[in-house]
Amino acid sequence: MPSDLLLVLPLLLPLYGALLCLAFWQREQWQTILAGVFQVAWLVAGVLLLRRVLHLEVVSTQIGNWPAPFGITLAADVLSALILVTAGVIGLAVYLFSLQGLDITRRRFGYYPLLLLLQMGVSGVCLTGDLFNLYVWFELLLICCFALLSLGGTKGQLEGTFKYVTINFLASGLLLTGIGTMYSLYGSLNLAELALLVRQPEHPNLPLLSMVSVFFLTGFGIKAAIFPLFFWLPASYHTPPVAISAFIAGLLTKVGIYTLIRLFTLLFISDLGFMLPLMVVLAALTMLIGVVGAAAQTDFKKILSFHIISQIGYMLMGLAIYTPLALAGSVFFIVHNILVKTNLFLISGIVAQRYRTSSLKRLGGVYLQQPMLSVLFILSALSLAGTPPSSGFWGKLMLARAGLEAGQYVLVGVSLFVSIITLFSMTKIWNEVFWKPRPVSIRKGSLVTPVNPLRLWQLYLPVTMLLGVILLIGVYARPLVRLSERAAERLLHIEPYTNTVLPKKAAN
Amino acid sequence: MRTIIFATTIRYLTPLFLILSLYILLRGHNHPGGGFIGGLIGSIAFVFHVLAHGSDRTVNVYFRLKLYSKGKPEEDTPPEHMWRLLSVNTWNRLPSYPQPEWRYHIVRLRPAYVMATGLFLAASSGLLGLLRGMPFMTSWWMEAEIPIIGALGTPLLFDAGVYLLVLGMVLKMVFTMSKE
Repeated sequence: MPSDLLLVLPLLLPLYGALLCLAFWQREQWQTILAGVFQVAWLVAGVLLLRRVLHLEVVSTQIGNWPAPFGITLAADVLSALILVTAGVIGLAVYLFSLQGLDITRRRFGYYPLLLLLQMGVSGVCLTGDLFNLYVWFELLLICCFALLSLGGTKGQLEGTFKYVTINFLASGLLLTGIGTMYSLYGSLNLAELALLVRQPEHPNLPLLSMVSVFFLTGFGIKAAIFPLFFWLPASYHTPPVAISAFIAGLLTKVGIYTLIRLFTLLFISDLGFMLPLMVVLAALTMLIGVVGAAAQTDFKKILSFHIISQIGYMLMGLAIYTPLALAGSVFFIVHNILVKTNLFLISGIVAQRYRTSSLKRLGGVYLQQPMLSVLFILSALSLAGTPPSSGFWGKLMLARAGLEAGQYVLVGVSLFVSIITLFSMTKIWNEVFWKPRPVSIRKGSLVTPVNPLRLWQLYLPVTMLLGVILLIGVYARPLVRLSERAAERLLHIEPYTNTVLPKKAAN
Repeated sequence: MRTIIFATTIRYLTPLFLILSLYILLRGHNHPGGGFIGGLIGSIAFVFHVLAHGSDRTVNVYFRLKLYSKGKPEEDTPPEHMWRLLSVNTWNRLPSYPQPEWRYHIVRLRPAYVMATGLFLAASSGLLGLLRGMPFMTSWWMEAEIPIIGALGTPLLFDAGVYLLVLGMVLKMVFTMSKE
């Protein structure tokens, strides 16, 4: 298959899927079938792209056949393909979950087209080779998230969505300012050309580059929920149904981190002496504040939301240490965290659907009722906390080793301390939701959704599937570690990237 | 806003707006214009119609089609029957009061379908480039020039898609808001 096709497939497949779903508006059976087909196709497209990228290192295509600095470039390397495949896996899992886990009204009124368009946005962010298009794809993500979070229009959802959209508009404004400044400084928006331009030490505008980088750090910092810009996240992620929030919570902040990693290895390398210590502080505070915030919560989904923030800190930690091993650790951690976080959200959804609440005070005794679910939860939770031999352990090991090698002892100390608190937090959920007996006063009065074994297994299926992938990564970590190392190597040595996108400059 | 002058004027302006929007769409390749602005101008026609007559009327007039059918009578040959069906559904429309011997079906064109068609056209115009082994959206023009329309090619298809998308989007917004 030609690379031109491989690179546009992850964009076109969700687009066509969404279009066909629109054509079958309000007929959710047809939409369900179509969406399923296109979810699988999206995953396959990601896998094919990853295989190609492993073979060729970097592939690129010029949309409309206009040569690189003038046209729109799509480019993929190991990192972007890896994120795409991971997104495909959780996309499939969330789709399977939504078959039983989402009410029929939401499915009828546009859940599938919106989810597919959101996935198109994720592909766009991962594949774009152009700064302005990056912004456009992020806008698509924002719009789809806006519609998905408010789909159904309950009071809590609208409140959460409003907060989400307001602060993300602010972030988009900052990004646009940054992109405009970048263009006025260097006269180009193509990432590969910019990467070559910022590496010219005699360029007169070089000292001004750090100003631009602060715009991007703030803008994507908001989108990735880095300290002190994370307040929108726990306010909005727990409000919609789990089939919606699991995908958004699992993926979107990581896409923000992915972009930060991409830009700070490709473009903003001139002033690392200032940016990296700043990021070290930000990473440590993000980890700490997230986990402390989680300790104060008494709601299943809210605890998980706060943990997203603390995990973002780990990913930023890899970027802040800025060695090949640290970046590889970050990449590994992103993949691991997308899978685990989505899985935990799905489990919280199963519990919430059965007992019609996600408040820890009103839950209890799930272990007796659903031992299978409890096993699924404890394995995922241990993986999130990073106990060996789970997937989280390897990510944290890579990051900690990189930190010790780079002499960031405080940062490593903080990260290990945060791991323990994470474990404590997961134990708290385990105790409250699964282990303790159900509160007597509630046991009598409250409703429990009747169990239909077939339905229950349909809910367990995606969770089991994701847990299988997580355990596989944990037990047999070597392939993914190698992939992460290759991705990190590509990030730090950009010649293949620029040479592929700009073949003429390479020839000169 | 529902004055008789406005309502009468709109009857004549609506086709004018539509023709102007098509003109803008077609000249867009080498001059100012194109699918986006064409779609906006085209939607003005319907926006004014909604202002003058209300959205229900606009939907009835432009976006809802009543199709008549009935079983073939004994005395008609099949071609005759087909011809009668065709004539009743096109130039020889039945009056709107109930017709006992005719069954009718209402076909409704939702703005969402217009949008979907537009997106589909725009996205598929790029696929032609892929089919010829070039990057996505590589343009392809027909050699021959056609009077009025000019050259035909995939960028025109893309623009037509954008036209429909914008038209559908504005219609959706206007219909939704006028119902409030």
